[in-house]
Amino acid sequence: MRAIWLIVFGSIVLFSCQEEVFLPLNENESGTPVIEAMWTDQGIYNEVKISLSNNYYDSLDYRVVNDAEVFIKVERTGRIIPFRYLDGSKSYRPTNPSERARVGERYQLNVNMRGSTYQSSGIMLEAPTVDSVTWKFEEKRLFRDEGYYIKVYGKIPFTENNNYRIRVIENDTLKNQRDDYLLFDDTFGLRFFEEGLELGYTFQEKDQVRLELYRLNKDAYDYLNQLVNLLFNDGGLFSPPPQNPESNIKVVSGKSKVLGYFVVSPVLSRSVIIQAKYD
Amino acid sequence: MSFPQTLLVSIFLFVGIQAFSQSDQKISGTVVDVINSEPLIGANVYWEGQVGSGTITDLEGNFRLQMTTLPAKLVISFLGYEKSIRVIQPKEAEKPMKFFLKPEELSLQEIIIQERRPDEQVKNLEIGKSSVAIETIKNIPALFGEVDLLRSLQLLPGVQTAGEGTTGLFVRGGSADQNLVQLDGAPVYNASHFFGVFSVFNPDALKKVDLYKGNMPSQFGGRASSLIDVSLREGGKDQIHGEGGIGTISSRLTLDGPLFGKNSSFIVSARRTYADLFLKLSSDPNLNNNKLNFHDLSGKFSFILGQKDKLSLSTYQGSDFLGLDNQFGLGWTNWVSALNWNRVSSETSFFDLQAYHSRYQYRVDFEDRDNGFEWTNSLSESGIKASWTRVLKESTNLNWGVHSQVYHFAPTELIPAPDSPIRRINTRAVQGVLSNLFLGVTHDFSPKLSTEAGLRWGLFNQLGEGLQYLYPNGLPTPDAEPIDSVAFSNLKSMKFYQGLEPRLAFRYLVNPEFSVKLAFNRNFQYVQIASNSSAGLPIDRWILAGNYTPPIRSDQISLGLFHNFQSNKWEVSLEGYYKDLDNVIDLRNGAQVLFTDRVETEILSGRGWAYGLEFMLRKNVGKTTGWLAYTWSRAWRQIDGISQNQPYNPRFDRPHDVTLVLNHEFSPTWTAGLTMVYTTGQAVSFPVGSYVMDNQTVPLYSDFRNENRFPAYHRMDASVTWKNPDKGRKWRGSWNFGVYNLYGRKNPFSYEFRTIFNNDINFSSSDGAIVSARPGVVMTYLFTFLPSLTYNFQF
Repeated sequence: MRAIWLIVFGSIVLFSCQEEVFLPLNENESGTPVIEAMWTDQGIYNEVKISLSNNYYDSLDYRVVNDAEVFIKVERTGRIIPFRYLDGSKSYRPTNPSERARVGERYQLNVNMRGSTYQSSGIMLEAPTVDSVTWKFEEKRLFRDEGYYIKVYGKIPFTENNNYRIRVIENDTLKNQRDDYLLFDDTFGLRFFEEGLELGYTFQEKDQVRLELYRLNKDAYDYLNQLVNLLFNDGGLFSPPPQNPESNIKVVSGKSKVLGYFVVSPVLSRSVIIQAKYD
Repeated sequence: MSFPQTLLVSIFLFVGIQAFSQSDQKISGTVVDVINSEPLIGANVYWEGQVGSGTITDLEGNFRLQMTTLPAKLVISFLGYEKSIRVIQPKEAEKPMKFFLKPEELSLQEIIIQERRPDEQVKNLEIGKSSVAIETIKNIPALFGEVDLLRSLQLLPGVQTAGEGTTGLFVRGGSADQNLVQLDGAPVYNASHFFGVFSVFNPDALKKVDLYKGNMPSQFGGRASSLIDVSLREGGKDQIHGEGGIGTISSRLTLDGPLFGKNSSFIVSARRTYADLFLKLSSDPNLNNNKLNFHDLSGKFSFILGQKDKLSLSTYQGSDFLGLDNQFGLGWTNWVSALNWNRVSSETSFFDLQAYHSRYQYRVDFEDRDNGFEWTNSLSESGIKASWTRVLKESTNLNWGVHSQVYHFAPTELIPAPDSPIRRINTRAVQGVLSNLFLGVTHDFSPKLSTEAGLRWGLFNQLGEGLQYLYPNGLPTPDAEPIDSVAFSNLKSMKFYQGLEPRLAFRYLVNPEFSVKLAFNRNFQYVQIASNSSAGLPIDRWILAGNYTPPIRSDQISLGLFHNFQSNKWEVSLEGYYKDLDNVIDLRNGAQVLFTDRVETEILSGRGWAYGLEFMLRKNVGKTTGWLAYTWSRAWRQIDGISQNQPYNPRFDRPHDVTLVLNHEFSPTWTAGLTMVYTTGQAVSFPVGSYVMDNQTVPLYSDFRNENRFPAYHRMDASVTWKNPDKGRKWRGSWNFGVYNLYGRKNPFSYEFRTIFNNDINFSSSDGAIVSARPGVVMTYLFTFLPSLTYNFQF
């Protein structure tokens, strides 16, 4: 669908011009809390980032909230996993770094900040299997440039909760432009994962590539999908009215709005170095 | 021929004989009417500047005229026809010549206006109806020089456009899918080419278009906001004629004439674009391997069957195709056919029977060994309509009938390439039958007071074979898994709706030049598009009313003042309306509706309302014609789940709308057209801030929809037409030069709020390393100062 939209827009661009403009904006929602929380089975990924929104044109000034109370509760047992703020990462991390999510448990995120309480929950799902990661040089194709392409082979034996994200880190840089998001569910089946899921980007020889596969709860997956749709929204007639992605974090008390999402997910990671001789 | 004419012919023949006797060198020829090839008797034929030594044509249209020094200009004139002046070369004079005279241009315009009496707008019962002659539409300066029916209707009061270059119509606060566009009675589901830039109608094949935006007679219905009733013209019954044009992006040709003698006729029309030919000229392989074209084919075949019956078959087929690199293709096709039988049973009794079929389909192909697929979908509507009209007495007309419609929305099919691991998708087909009974009465209570009362009763059944899902608490939400499902066998009723649609209109004639009209209108709409973008896409999903999507209900009340002055040379009108809509739909955030059988989980529904005042000053006759229109209007929606459940304006809410359309005939050879448009900018949402999420800057939007506005939209278009001075030849040509957006106004098509890397709005990740990033706004605008040249011809 996004490809169709790009084609439509591309066709219109044939007759169009673009220029940068300055628009005065009603920037009255500065200071809205933004929570980005990850709770996985690997300690390195477990953190909660809290910041405040900015005026549109000031957005490079990242306003961190460092005085919040953050903890995760294991819903089944009621056990509290406290978090503390670390200046180095500008995020909250578990006080006990060995804490991590376990399959089958439901976790509740709690954030108390500046008189408001926010809550979200998610279940830790079983991870699929990644068997191998290969790469191959491909000639230029439609919608694909020439270069090395990575394929991920694995098995997804689940009949439900099939919502996945693959993050790609190329030479220590996360690929996170709007074209780089790789999200998939089982709408078109999952056999393509067994037969090799080709990542849609080219790599060069000697690139160090790390892949991270997440199995998401539906609400977090929807959040990311809506985020990508928003990043592709050009504000034109063929785009839906722009809306903030629907957060899976609820306001329990206090300020009536919160942005961001809470991810509970297993993480499977693999690293490869692109080498021509193995092509 | 009357005695004076005979005498005149005799005198001139005598003079001709005298002239003949003066010299042996003569030229000879025949003068005929270009329309029917009938000889013109008594036409004046003379060398320019030598009227006294001229001659006139005889009973067969023939003439002989004494030779002069060649080359010289031969003038042929006849009352009611355009004067013909042809330069005669010595070689031409050696054999008999034929001259075709064309009825004066104003006659054609007058014929069209005569269909609508000069005092029509004051005297008739119509309120909220606009008729535009095709000749008028042809004179309006056009984008790319492509005369466009739907874009011309956007110049009428009460009709809004979603944005630059689109043909979608938003009539009195209604959405684009709330308009019924029909061709000779058959609905057209996607009335646009090239993603909405052009409409599907080739103007050369059209007779007229009527836009009903207020009161709709009870014989019409099915859409909540308007009816755009387009009629194909019939072919001439005397001889074959042609008409066409060679334009900047397309060419067209129409042929018409008798079919089997004088009692039948045909007209066939074709149009094709050649944008892809220009793409081939590009040295860029990303462009020259691509295809981008559309075509139209239409035809109408009419048969007079005795004195009482007439049969006509109309058909239209149009396709678009976009192809990339021979690997990707997106095409869509409309095919519409209608059979109409009209019977005049007696002077007071008429019967019309109509059967039609309309089919729309699209197809997407992608050739790729891993991800290739073929994706198709189609929908069709077949219908039969019988109506009887009876003139009971001079003051009362009665019209009644039945209209049955069968909808078939075929499954969406996605068939992967043979070796592709993608799963095949096949949604379920959806069927429905809508049967309408209608009755309408017009009655003149007195010369001053007339009324039109009508009732339409729609009975709708969604039919099996199908599957109906049941949700917890009956609420289909994206997270709600169905708790059960009910299977329905073939033709079993899945859901039934029925609704009465009363129509009532009054006209009070204050004096012969001034009337007041009042109307109330209710419509139900049982099909709609599940989309939340403002412009239609060829892959839009149409849905039928069903268990979770009741039909849209629209109530409209309108009041109008109509005044003609200076012997009906000028028309002025002021109309006000209030429209109430129920069960309008929108989509949830991130909704996916194309490949699911549970569309209801992606839909939100609510209500809407609109109101406005429309002013129009129009001049239909004289050297200068056109109109000035001003509309003040508001449109609102209130849908739970959108804008904090508060009312909001849809994008096409544009409170102020001013249009000026002028056409002036400077001389028989030179005419000019001018169009000016001013409207309030579209209602949109701009960010109210930004935040960092997932390592990138994301624009933050208010929870309230469309609180911002684009800058006001305005534009001026102009065109001049030069007609080749008539030389009495059958082939007649004219050149039209037009400029769209004459003063180059940069009207925004979109504002995109995104991160700008390396201070370059066109930067992409393949351009190298990112050294800077900042938030920015990129404006896209279309069509600034776009000239076009078209050659039009008739023969």
